[in-house]
Amino acid sequence: MKYVDEFRSADLARGLAAEITSLVRPGETVRIMEVCGGHTHAIYRHGLEDLLPPEVELVHGPGCPVCVIPMGRVDDAIALAEEPGVTLATFGDMMRVPGGRGSLLEAKARGADIRMVYSPLDALALAANLPDRRVIFFAIGFETTAPATAVTLLRARAEGTPNFAVFCNHVTIEPPLRAILETPGLRVDAFIGPGHVSTVIGTNAYRFIPEEYGRSVAVSAFEPVDLLQAMAMLLRQRAEGRCEVENQYTRVVRPEGNSRALAAINATMELRDEFEWRGLGTIPKSALQLRPEFAAWDAEKLFTVPGERIEDPKACRCGEVLTGQIKPWECGVFGTACTPERPLGTCMVSSEGACAAFYAYGRQRRLAEDPVGV
Amino acid sequence: MTKIAPDRCLTCSDDAVEAQVVDVSGNDAIVLVAGARAHIAIDLVPESCPGDLLLCHAGIALERLERSCDVPQVAPSHKVSAAVESKVGL
Repeated sequence: MKYVDEFRSADLARGLAAEITSLVRPGETVRIMEVCGGHTHAIYRHGLEDLLPPEVELVHGPGCPVCVIPMGRVDDAIALAEEPGVTLATFGDMMRVPGGRGSLLEAKARGADIRMVYSPLDALALAANLPDRRVIFFAIGFETTAPATAVTLLRARAEGTPNFAVFCNHVTIEPPLRAILETPGLRVDAFIGPGHVSTVIGTNAYRFIPEEYGRSVAVSAFEPVDLLQAMAMLLRQRAEGRCEVENQYTRVVRPEGNSRALAAINATMELRDEFEWRGLGTIPKSALQLRPEFAAWDAEKLFTVPGERIEDPKACRCGEVLTGQIKPWECGVFGTACTPERPLGTCMVSSEGACAAFYAYGRQRRLAEDPVGV
Repeated sequence: MTKIAPDRCLTCSDDAVEAQVVDVSGNDAIVLVAGARAHIAIDLVPESCPGDLLLCHAGIALERLERSCDVPQVAPSHKVSAAVESKVGL
């Protein structure tokens, strides 16, 4: 397949791995955080850590959109789904995320009308087909997904669909990056920037990282050669004494992003005062809510949501995984009380979650190395 | 919409997939990915035309990976495009 096969070339990957090895000094440690959950998934799926020298340590970041949703917001979605006459629609992974009152899947089993969709536009079509019900789309995701919700809202208004609404939980990438960069004792030397978020916001959006925090960034695509090239770019910057934002994903990402997508977001949404992130706590101006002119489609204006803060289970260490403080296997319940079939924490739910990715692709190798460690 | 990428997380994620445009009608396109046909909204890339390769996520096209034509074939007549474009002064 075009744009896939050439970026999975074993020869190119081995060449880049050799270059990466040549760019580090024996015995030192260079920590690179991949921000995006899609990158985490690709790193484990393709076994990239096996190609890297021991001096390069990959640290998983907060960029899985499912993983950062706190339990309280899941409970809010369940409360909305249980309102009379409401049909709740959301992405498949969100249905499995446990809240304080169980998951949306369990609420569906109790009788709530909850549907899985692949796009907010599917939820809008559902509303057109169910004129006697209020169809609420439980919206999650970073700037990659927010344009789809924005376009859907603009279409709902243009088409005059009164029984559609959005429960908005879209988040933005800059605040959690700042939160991580301001963590005392930060142990990240460079960042692999998210590819598809950057399609929307552009590479210029990361200039604060080298300028204010002295860390380099390489925005990367998702195939193994892409990721290895991004790592080589970061190490080359370091070797040459540069610290800047570079773009590995030039086939689709532009410095300024997609102005139409940004305009659609700005036309329909605005920053919330604050939002709770799983693992990072409450961060000011880090998430989006619908603009007042879209109040007729805003589930939080149409209904009362509980809005309670629910503590994560004590045994769950998703917060530390999301901020790169521990590896998935260092969590005491990884692979035992918490598995993809019965996830305790969000990182085990989505295939982009670091725990689910490691469970699927990495644990056998580790099990062979350390039979009691996993 | 059909699930079009078996090895990627399309259901939630900040991942995205490439799709080739087969047909365009207003702000909607039919695309082909790995042999499957799917409907995609092209409000954000209204100049798309058959043959283009689009980067798609959650039912909409985010960007054109490859252009088979440089002349816009789709007039931005849909109200959504008009609303979006008025915001950015296009």
